[in-house]
Amino acid sequence: MSDIPAIEVRGLRRVFDVRQGLFAKPRQVVAVDDVSFSVPAGSVLGIVGESGCGKTTLARMILGLLPPSSGDVLIDGQRLGDLDRRARARLIQPVFQDPFSSLNPRRRVRDIVAMPLVAQGNIAGDEVKRRVGEALERVGLSAEQGSRYPSQLSGGQRQRVAIARALVLRPRIVVCDEPTSALDVSVQAQILNLLAELRKDLGLTYLFISHNLAVVEHVASEVAVMYLGRIVERNESEALFAHPQHPYTRALLDSVLTPEPGLGVPDVGLGDTMPDPANIPPGCRFHPRCPLAFERCSHETPKLTPNEAGFVECLLAEE
Amino acid sequence: MSALLDVRNLRVTFGGTAAVRGASLTVEKGETHCLVGESGCGKSVTALALMGLLARGGKREADALSFAGQDIRNLGERDMSRLRGDRMAMIVQEPMTSLNPADTVGSQLTEVLRRHRGASRAQAVDRAAELLGRVGITAPGLRLGQYPHQLSGGLRQRVMIAMALMCDPELLIADEPTTALDVTVQAQILRLLAELQAEFGLGILLITHDLGVVARIADRVSVMYAGEVVESAPTAELFAAPQHPYTRGLLTCVPVPGKVKRGEPLGSIPGVVPRIPPGFVGCSFRDRCAYAHAACKHDIPRQHAGPDHEALCTLPPGWTDRAAA
Ligand SMILES: Nc1ncnc2c1ncn2[C@@H]1O[C@H](COP(=O)(O)OP(=O)(O)OP(=O)(O)O)[C@@H](O)[C@H]1O
Ligand SMILES: Nc1ncnc2c1ncn2[C@@H]1O[C@H](COP(=O)(O)OP(=O)(O)OP(=O)(O)O)[C@@H](O)[C@H]1O
Ligand SMILES: [Mg+2]
Ligand SMILES: [Mg+2]
Repeated sequence: MSDIPAIEVRGLRRVFDVRQGLFAKPRQVVAVDDVSFSVPAGSVLGIVGESGCGKTTLARMILGLLPPSSGDVLIDGQRLGDLDRRARARLIQPVFQDPFSSLNPRRRVRDIVAMPLVAQGNIAGDEVKRRVGEALERVGLSAEQGSRYPSQLSGGQRQRVAIARALVLRPRIVVCDEPTSALDVSVQAQILNLLAELRKDLGLTYLFISHNLAVVEHVASEVAVMYLGRIVERNESEALFAHPQHPYTRALLDSVLTPEPGLGVPDVGLGDTMPDPANIPPGCRFHPRCPLAFERCSHETPKLTPNEAGFVECLLAEE
Repeated sequence: MSALLDVRNLRVTFGGTAAVRGASLTVEKGETHCLVGESGCGKSVTALALMGLLARGGKREADALSFAGQDIRNLGERDMSRLRGDRMAMIVQEPMTSLNPADTVGSQLTEVLRRHRGASRAQAVDRAAELLGRVGITAPGLRLGQYPHQLSGGLRQRVMIAMALMCDPELLIADEPTTALDVTVQAQILRLLAELQAEFGLGILLITHDLGVVARIADRVSVMYAGEVVESAPTAELFAAPQHPYTRGLLTCVPVPGKVKRGEPLGSIPGVVPRIPPGFVGCSFRDRCAYAHAACKHDIPRQHAGPDHEALCTLPPGWTDRAAA
């Protein structure tokens, strides 16, 4: 394994202009705000965080589907902008959250899976056929299922199609945006076991976005926690789950609903005012909702404090 | 008093294939009834059939189907659409398919109230902003002016929840309403639903894959497999003493935070849901069941494991206790 990280992002930022009316001045939504990290080849970086905090936007920038407002993405040591579309497709592939809308309903499964190969433009027909067959088999789909349309498959089978399509070019990196949230727990386990097996056999690197913290704990080697466009804590998976440092990370872990009847739904004291990405608070961006906030938090921006394998961005950790 | 929603032996077919082959369930006023089961087992089709929203080609039959004491099997489309979005509301599984991409969030939200209640534009905007606040969306002004594709997955889902609540429904059918949400927002939404139940006696039929959600909020759980409700019980009983081998399998697949072992495969139920041919008799789970025997190829009895606990299985009630001993 090389020392060059599979994914490296530096100072990544993305701003959207949002208009509130025809004549109103557009407001700026800062979806991703100065994010930097690297993912070593062969490892899994889990990304968790509040909905709307910028995870999908980050993933789309890493995949080259959305240009950053500023900052760089390096894939396997090469700047994303320097790679042509086909070379990029051979390196990095997505599995999106929604198996329903990310597959073309008018194409048969095997044609959907063949698309990335065909788009390369230089792969012979029978080679395409062979590799599609191989990819379908790898994800546990039969040849008969390969000739169906997406609407004739169950949610779990459709997600397998999306994974087969992502793997058919044998990429080094797969970006998974909520790959199992539409699936029942048994099919979810099958898909996660498949992803783990592929990682072992093919040495894949994953960026793994999920709201399911138990799943992230299971698959990720490191975890990054995002809040309002920034990574506020990053650490080895084990350390992060054993002793979360950022108050937001703690709130997340405390909100997990374990399957124990009678315990009700916890209120972790974040209040009901969600953050407004068009109006980011000064100081620590989490302070208006933080149960542990003190005076300095409202005007002093926390620095990164190193932990086992990453950092935490909180004034309490600086003490 | 009759239940708010009463469904008996619901069947839905698309052309020759049966998507739902016998679903019975009730939702009382103020009750939360959760429906769980394998992908593709017919949960969404059941929900859509109850709302009269089946896709073209879908055919619905039922021995009984009533809402607030009224038989709705033969209601015309006009009467049905008067109920829908007003007294019975639904949150569909894929928000993107039911939001109009060409229209702002604000006008889609306000439209519901204006159509059903004849509210003025200003009243409707106030109500929309209030509900967006309650589902945890700040800066409603900003969000009301946005188009669906400009929202994150979780924001879209919350817009759908707000839309379903616009007219204070008596019954809410929610199909995976919190899957796109992080756990803190999920907790907030679930607490909001509990408040509405306490305030207005809202009845909820909730479809979810998240057994953590089920455990924490359901009064009653029904488990579907291959188009049938195979087990139904009060929540605590279902988790403590599952009867049907499918239910048991499902419960062992849940990854529990702090208890997962990295590097080891997660437990899953081997095999896939079979295709059920017309005229099929017996238990549809038998090919995947470790306890299958000859009787599973014949009609399956609906057995009582408790006064309020039913399972569609040949195994004697209480067998799990003995299996565990
Ligand atoms: N095309 C767009 N135009 C305007 N704003 C956008 C656009 N895409 C995303 N945003 C905004 O950027 C922010 C981050 O969105 P993003 O989809 O990255 O969130 P997320 O972390 O993936 O959330 P979720 O968990 O809900 O999927 C949100 O406030 C969203 O409304
Ligand atoms: N419009 C349709 N035409 C034909 N078959 C359909 C249609 N809609 C659903 N089905 C089939 O009916 C069955 C039940 O589907 P349904 O969407 O209810 O599953 P589900 O339990 O909601 O699954 P999931 O958990 O994946 O959402 C599936 O086999 C599906 O392929
Ligand atoms: Mg997202
Ligand atoms: Mg469904």
